[in-house]
Amino acid sequence: MVGDALWYEAAMIVGITNALNVVADGLGALMAPVKPGTAEIAATYDDIRAFYGGAAEIPIPFGLAAQDPGYLGDLWAAAKRAFTDNQLSRRLKTSLAFAVSLTTRSAFGTAFHLGEMRRLGVGEGGIMEVVGVTQMFSSYTKIADTLQLEPDMGHIAPVDSTPAPGGGQP
Amino acid sequence: MPTVRLRDAEEYPEPVRRAFELSKQWFNYDFPQPAAMTRVMAWDPHFGGPHGRAMKRAMAPGEFSRGEKEMVAAVVSGVNACNY
Repeated sequence: MVGDALWYEAAMIVGITNALNVVADGLGALMAPVKPGTAEIAATYDDIRAFYGGAAEIPIPFGLAAQDPGYLGDLWAAAKRAFTDNQLSRRLKTSLAFAVSLTTRSAFGTAFHLGEMRRLGVGEGGIMEVVGVTQMFSSYTKIADTLQLEPDMGHIAPVDSTPAPGGGQP
Repeated sequence: MPTVRLRDAEEYPEPVRRAFELSKQWFNYDFPQPAAMTRVMAWDPHFGGPHGRAMKRAMAPGEFSRGEKEMVAAVVSGVNACNY
């Protein structure tokens, strides 16, 4: 896990996962998803279904976002980009999203990403590995916070001197 | 600033100091003092021992590599807003 690129990708997974979860958990039971009444929405829905293995249902955060097709398009583009294989595999990204969802007690995100992990081939043992890490670090973090410990390991990783994608050396 | 005084390694009993050596191997880094969390967990070996073993089992390579699990741990820490 050397190099900043991996961690930029992980951070974006955390962000977009939280963004989808807050809407799904907060409004999923209160608002209905938009039906694909326009060609633009239908095309985006088709892309979403394909990305999730031919899913019958559009995940609720996207179904709600479709009130504004332009917003749906951009939200979906960002989410798809974040979860697509890149420096990190989609399998790991989905597992990170599951850990984030479990940690933040997101009923939507936990169930959704658990299903995705299984669809992407993670076994029950692998799922429990992620659960175990999530559980143990949910303990460590609270002990550290209770005692207000100061970071003492942030400097042990080497600094990545490579430029931003497409950029030049500093 | 920590709400407790973190004891130096020398202030712990000998069996715990031996465990600090294992901690150094785990992190593969030569800290001047064991990491703060390591010293905290060593305060009560009857808690820190099994807790640490559970952590090591959870972090051991399986379907996911140690590195991948470190990343899971990092995002869990991040969403818990843990500065440490």
